[in-house]
Amino acid sequence: MAGNLEIKSVLDLAIGREEEAFRFYSEVSGRVENPGVKEIFDQLAKDELGHKVFLQACLKDPELASKLPVPTDYKIAEATAEPSLSIDMKPADALAVAMKKELGAAEFYQDLARSASDATLTAMFENLARMELGHKSRIEHMFVDIGYPEVF
Amino acid sequence: MTNSIQELQDADLIFVIGSNMTEAHPVISYYVKRAVNKGATLIVNDPRRTDLCRWAAHHVQIKVGSDIAYINGLINEIFKNGWANEDFIREHTENPDEMRAWAESYPVERASEICGVPVARMKEIARLLGTAKSVSVCYTLGITEHICGTDNVKTLANLQMVLGNLGKHGAGLNPLRGQNNVQGACDMGALPNVFHNYQPVTDAKAIEKMEKDWGVTGLSRTAGYKMPTMLHKALDGGTRVLYCVADNTVQTEPHMAHTIKELQALELLVVTDIFPNLTTALAHVVFPDYSWGEEEGTFSNTERRVQRVRRALTPPEGCRPNWWILQELGKRLGYDLGFTSARAIWEDMRRTATSYAGITHERIEDVGLQWPCPTLEHPGTAFLHKDGKFSRGKGLFCKTDWIPPAEVVDEEYPLVLSTGRRLWHYHSGTQTRNSVGLENLFPEELLEMHPTDASPLGIASGDLVKAVSRRGEVTLRAWVNERAAPGLCWMAFHFEEACANVLTIDAFDPVTETAEYKVCAIRVEKVRDGEAPMEDLRRQARP
Repeated sequence: MAGNLEIKSVLDLAIGREEEAFRFYSEVSGRVENPGVKEIFDQLAKDELGHKVFLQACLKDPELASKLPVPTDYKIAEATAEPSLSIDMKPADALAVAMKKELGAAEFYQDLARSASDATLTAMFENLARMELGHKSRIEHMFVDIGYPEVF
Repeated sequence: MTNSIQELQDADLIFVIGSNMTEAHPVISYYVKRAVNKGATLIVNDPRRTDLCRWAAHHVQIKVGSDIAYINGLINEIFKNGWANEDFIREHTENPDEMRAWAESYPVERASEICGVPVARMKEIARLLGTAKSVSVCYTLGITEHICGTDNVKTLANLQMVLGNLGKHGAGLNPLRGQNNVQGACDMGALPNVFHNYQPVTDAKAIEKMEKDWGVTGLSRTAGYKMPTMLHKALDGGTRVLYCVADNTVQTEPHMAHTIKELQALELLVVTDIFPNLTTALAHVVFPDYSWGEEEGTFSNTERRVQRVRRALTPPEGCRPNWWILQELGKRLGYDLGFTSARAIWEDMRRTATSYAGITHERIEDVGLQWPCPTLEHPGTAFLHKDGKFSRGKGLFCKTDWIPPAEVVDEEYPLVLSTGRRLWHYHSGTQTRNSVGLENLFPEELLEMHPTDASPLGIASGDLVKAVSRRGEVTLRAWVNERAAPGLCWMAFHFEEACANVLTIDAFDPVTETAEYKVCAIRVEKVRDGEAPMEDLRRQARP
């Protein structure tokens, strides 16, 4: 069974990834022109800080991660092409980038869960994957609201 | 629609403008009536006293073509009294200060002078709008069929953004589409400037995607003409061939005499339809197609709901579905689309368009789904712009200024003619005029006139009259009633022997090129005495 040290390492890894995502969204926010897109990236960066706070709480109480709800997965990120980053990207493109990143994060933890030899570690990776899928689901909802404009 | 039809019954206030809902969208009107029965406030804004007014707390009889002044005046009053949703404006809109300043140019007194609604009435309507929890705006062709139709719509969007009534259950901006599947036709790219899924035909990325998806090269990079331009260019050879799919162009375009000249100038006119009409009479080739009861496929209604259509009747000998006719034509021109059924076409659409990728015939076997529905797991989308989010980022306020209609009354043509639809007939009547039952219910078009206008001319209900505009004249019987305000006459375009579009003006909105069907100037002359057309006309017009 994995010890506290190993669980801590996993959570530290996850915290590091959230910090990295925060830096990514903040940096992109500084480059885009559309104020609406900038606002979306700022919010996404803020969200990543919230995720970091949650993971820090998990360091004290790892059980918290197991209490995350199972998100609805409409698999929209999977069905959407990833747009390239550009200064004139549209709000929907910003959300598409974000949901793809969350999908990538979920897959990262799912892979680790599959390769972990210890049940406790597997459970922790699965919990983290579920957390990322929850983030993906939230962004997918926002994407559906604005991603299919009826413009002609 | 940004909302679903059913949500209307949960609105706190329903603001209907330019929509004769009980006759043109009777099913939707049931939900509005249900909302009223549940306690909602209904405000009907219309130059005519339509049947829906019987359920309304207020019928605001605005002058035809004055919508922008009226709405801007209401917005001014809403700002002035602190009823604007400042949180929504701050969080979700761009340039609100410009909007505030612009609204100041429409004090309610000025707006009242233009739209003919008393100042006190306007203030009361503004108060009701400003203090309601959720407002659903419904509009139809009374808003769009003007030379300022685009600005009319933008003004309504401004109103809903000022009130923060977007992205909520039961609160939004809801155009009721004019036909059962016009939403579906637009979704499928039956427009001159977009592929299906609203992908611009001028966008390099969209072209690249479609060429890849369809396995073709050389797709045009140029947007096509809109309908009026397409027809107008027939006169100088810019349009040589026209293919009308179930569109009775002669009867539905404005200024019929001019439309006929345009069609006669074509080298080739091909029409598919189910019965002969004024347009098939001019066609070089007529293809008989299936009616809605003989088709297989889908219709998408005004709330973006894709619904299955199934064959109920065996088609007549020799008729074919439209998709088959087009495909056969393609084969003879050297390109075979290779479809075998309506279902195969839908599957191709799903494959190449993300917003309905999750809608299969199996999933809509019982109940339709509303797009966006991008995956098989997705349940469809009931209302758009949740939490005030818009495709462009923040909602943009647009400054809109009232302009008078293209043609105003004068001594020679002292009356305004407005046009629309009747419950008993559909569009140009190609279908409904061939129904004995419907013909019995409403067998002829009538010119509706106010007694104030009819009396000095010695005209009573049933008298034969001639309605004359600068473009033509129509002889029909008069129906004298008080549904429209004095100075306003009204008729529909369902009857080819007495069609409003003989009279209507070919003036267009510069963006959409939609004609100003709702306003032109006419004079009315009495031809001879007659008998009242029916004793129960009032009942006939009241569904």
